[in-house]
Amino acid sequence: MMIEIENLVCRFGGTVAVDNVSMTVEKGEVVVIIGPSGAGKSTLIRCMNALEAFESGRIIIDGITVDKDHKHIHELRLEVGMVFQQFNLFPHLNVIDNITLAQKVVRKRSRGEAERKAMKLLETVNLTDKVDAYPEQLSGGQKQRVAIARALAMDPKVMLFDEVTSALDPEMIGEVLEVMKRLASAGMTMVIVTHEIGFAREAADRVIFMDDGKIVEYGPPSGVIDNPIEPRTREFLSKVL
Amino acid sequence: MLNWLGQQVVLYWDIFKYLIPAVPWTILITVCSFALALLLGLTIGILRISGHKPISSLAGIYINVIRGVPLLVQIFFIYFGLGGILNLDRFTAGVLAVGICYSAYLAEIFRSGIAAIAHGQHEAALSLGMTRFQTLRYVILPQSLRIVIPPIANEFIASLKDSSLVSIIGMRELTRAGREYYSQYFVDFQTWFLVGLIYLVMTISLSRLVKYLERIYAVKGFGIAR
Repeated sequence: MMIEIENLVCRFGGTVAVDNVSMTVEKGEVVVIIGPSGAGKSTLIRCMNALEAFESGRIIIDGITVDKDHKHIHELRLEVGMVFQQFNLFPHLNVIDNITLAQKVVRKRSRGEAERKAMKLLETVNLTDKVDAYPEQLSGGQKQRVAIARALAMDPKVMLFDEVTSALDPEMIGEVLEVMKRLASAGMTMVIVTHEIGFAREAADRVIFMDDGKIVEYGPPSGVIDNPIEPRTREFLSKVL
Repeated sequence: MLNWLGQQVVLYWDIFKYLIPAVPWTILITVCSFALALLLGLTIGILRISGHKPISSLAGIYINVIRGVPLLVQIFFIYFGLGGILNLDRFTAGVLAVGICYSAYLAEIFRSGIAAIAHGQHEAALSLGMTRFQTLRYVILPQSLRIVIPPIANEFIASLKDSSLVSIIGMRELTRAGREYYSQYFVDFQTWFLVGLIYLVMTISLSRLVKYLERIYAVKGFGIAR
């Protein structure tokens, strides 16, 4: 098992954002989490990278366990790549430096090695012509593809995508989803929070519907999306489809 | 009339020759104390936002105490108070006093410069496996520096002016030289006019230099699209 989450509880002040959630993700599996705003999807995925402190339960990714003491956070993050809604590219660095920085300071790769890796990844996201550009000179879709390349450069075993198309203009969503689909078919283990139901149907091995901090329903897209059992799932899908 | 003018020129030139050797001392005190202030200020500023409660409170107390006491009193305290125990000479005591005083102001500037960087930048760096120190060093500080350079330059110019206070403990810099000249020759107007003029020339050149540096270091990836 690549990811195991056991009885995870995450609270913000008085509200319980993630309420006793347990789930697993197999190696190479693509899991898409859907649900209304405030359902706890983002909090859950951010816990998988220890960006959110949780109150109880534990997360095991590739054998590294993080519990409420939050030890081994660093080791966990080394194996987990993350892409954010707001891109979070480093504005003071150009594209190639964005992708090589962590390779050099974290993975201790030489400049040449890091740049070769970056160029290869830029090729896969079709951005070799933007090597020297600064983030502000890129479109949203281009920024997000650089962010994906930056995360992949660390050779993560798991990739997390937190609403990565929500801040994009409609015509740029396709190019980002395309990259994610290719990544999925290459065998990457992926957890994706998204509002793109069409993408979930097409790319997901498993869909999780969350509401009110809990997992309401999960299964293959043909089940959860096309023939949902739970009334709450049906109600949500009828609004977004 | 011409005679009077000639006398004045000779007098100013005489004062000028007397004051000029003291100018390097003013510059040296300012540069040394500001280097100390930068080092201390950055450290205290980072400790202030370390997220470690006792340490951050201590840093806050340091900032508030130093900013709440007049620099002149700090100079007296360090030279006569601590100096008596630690055997500090005038120069060291002056540099320490001005440096420590300005470190409190710089700490606040560094703190706000770091706080101004979007939280997502921390998260992106941490998610790439960087430690907190690496995040600060490679991602946050390079961005903060661009924000803090103009206010820091202002503090540098202010510290040049405040270095005149060190004259009170007998450190022979520009202001002290002015007092010495005055007490020997009792020429007050011309002496203090010239002392002020020399400070003015230094501060104006500095602020010009800062503007120029800001322009040539206007950095890619920030603000102006090319």
